[in-house]
Amino acid sequence: MRNLLRIRELPIAVVLVAFFSIAALGNHQLFSFSGLHDLLFGSSIICLLVSAETLIIVMKHIDLSIGSTIGFASYIIGKNASNGHGLLYCLLLGIIFGLAVGAVNGLLVAYFKLPSLVVTLGTLYLVRGLFNQVAGGDFINSDKVPHVLSFMASHTFAKIPYLFIVAFVLALIVGFYMRNFRSGRDLYAIGSNLPAAYLAGIKVEKRTFWAFTAAGGIAGLGGALLIARFGQAQANSGLGIELGVVAACVVGGVAIAGGIGTVFGAIIGALLLQTIVLALGALGVSQFWQGVVNGALLIAAISLDKVLSSRSQRTQIMRVSE
Amino acid sequence: MNFLTRIRSSIGWDKGVGALLVLTIVIGSLVTPDFATTSNLGFVVQDIGEIMIIALPMTFLIIAGEIDLSVASALSLVSSSIGYSFAHGVPFGWALVIGILVGLATGALNGFLVNYLGLQSLAVTIGTMGLFRGLCFVLLGSNPVNQLPDFWTGLGINNIPGTFLPWSFLLIAPLVIIALILLHFTRIGRWTFAAGISSEAANFAGIPVKRFKFFMYVATGFMVSLAAIVYTLRFASASPDSAMGYELTTIAAVLFGGVSIAGGFGTMWGVIFSVIELGAIRSVLQLVNFSSNALQIVSGSLLLFSVAVPKVAEMLKARRETRVKTPTPSLTSSRSVE
Repeated sequence: MRNLLRIRELPIAVVLVAFFSIAALGNHQLFSFSGLHDLLFGSSIICLLVSAETLIIVMKHIDLSIGSTIGFASYIIGKNASNGHGLLYCLLLGIIFGLAVGAVNGLLVAYFKLPSLVVTLGTLYLVRGLFNQVAGGDFINSDKVPHVLSFMASHTFAKIPYLFIVAFVLALIVGFYMRNFRSGRDLYAIGSNLPAAYLAGIKVEKRTFWAFTAAGGIAGLGGALLIARFGQAQANSGLGIELGVVAACVVGGVAIAGGIGTVFGAIIGALLLQTIVLALGALGVSQFWQGVVNGALLIAAISLDKVLSSRSQRTQIMRVSE
Repeated sequence: MNFLTRIRSSIGWDKGVGALLVLTIVIGSLVTPDFATTSNLGFVVQDIGEIMIIALPMTFLIIAGEIDLSVASALSLVSSSIGYSFAHGVPFGWALVIGILVGLATGALNGFLVNYLGLQSLAVTIGTMGLFRGLCFVLLGSNPVNQLPDFWTGLGINNIPGTFLPWSFLLIAPLVIIALILLHFTRIGRWTFAAGISSEAANFAGIPVKRFKFFMYVATGFMVSLAAIVYTLRFASASPDSAMGYELTTIAAVLFGGVSIAGGFGTMWGVIFSVIELGAIRSVLQLVNFSSNALQIVSGSLLLFSVAVPKVAEMLKARRETRVKTPTPSLTSSRSVE
């Protein structure tokens, strides 16, 4: 198992390093502390959200609602902060909101047995609609963002942006949980073979429910990072971010077919996507290509995954027949 | 809930949606005198036109067990390429032809990736969704093309002379009828259901499933390009952020129309009713001065509602049956999740 995991993330890490180096050869500015800072800072939101999405995708589910959740959470945090409430109170509200959305998703997926795609599409819509309704044309600007958050956005610890440290610490926790805890391993079991997971006595409903709830909570916490990073919150905050998150996970080796992948792989995937964006910018390619590259890379990653998995399956069959 | 179960098993979900539509119309005309007018009917037709056009092939796709999340981005890409070619001196008529070709290409790409590379349609179309939307911005930057010829935009905005119906009705009505006949009265429709129930069995029965689904995606691309033309003319503008969220509205409408997300089950009637119902609800809400965000909330709720209610009814039914008969192990219910 350990070897397998290592093999799975190694290629993508190699690609990341190779790509970064090639891009840095083309533009020396990239290969510096400021280049590294841009990379980590720019990808911090996605890096945080992949922890949530990995929990879900390894169970062979998907959560599309995190973009709406993180957006609304950032507005809740910003609005309450500008009303004079303390940071902790605002953070707590954001997280509770995220947990609530996640719990709704989890309830419908785990106990009502509804397809997660449809459920989270629905909540994506609902939450965004409510968000627009509540926020309207309201605009939380940077001087209303809590000081701690704006400090975190503009400062670094040992040349590493604070925002990325938050995302990375969370990834460490989630990654450790998924690797070492029994309930974490259960998520993999659910994703790789559901009937077998039932037969093995895994509490599928409970695990699914709590994974969705946790994912929502992480997205709620992400609201703080979102408002810190952009210094503002408005009705379209976080719009469409779920696409980038799913892309990062899949590129980072979290199989959309469930049961495979780690948070660290997903973070490497997020870094790779961000490197490509930066490299394109550094090489003078228009910013508008970013969406194209993300989409194309996602498709390429799924295709590659398909090719690799069918190859390993073939070797398995051969081994059995020998 | 007993009542709901009975409705589902006796008269069917699609007719229930039809009944709901009648109810909405009655309530709408009671709530506001502006609802049941011919001019508002014309407005509703115009309002739901693109959704209706895309919902038709989406019904086929979902019944066949696939999905396409890229339709809205593809619509926007077709619209952008029409705008781009027109802005670069191509006569507008030819720009429309280019748009249709682009639409066919988007469908062919999805169809190729899903059927010949064997990738999951959900994942693939999330990818192409981003890809197509990105290409829109590459084509147009952030500048929409607005100066479209008056003759064409007139077609998008004006009604057919002497009637209250917009010109797009002439396109949509035949398409709806064709889709209805194709799904329920031809071999293509039977193949669609067969592919959705069991792709493998359909293959063994001699249906060229891969090629069939490939052409289904190409047809989706074609319909998307028609929807894009209607959209572009109606707003007299081609902009890279067109039709944001239309894929969700369309899928919500199809599922609310009683089509099963698991494939193999559904009727075209239900979907047609459901799209009109969506337009009717939206119209009532607008006429009583509800905010425009209401549609997002309504679509989201309809989507959740339409998957949750049948499931709950099914679970209750299963529970009742187990109480009567010998208790079934919990494993059977878990298997149906797959």
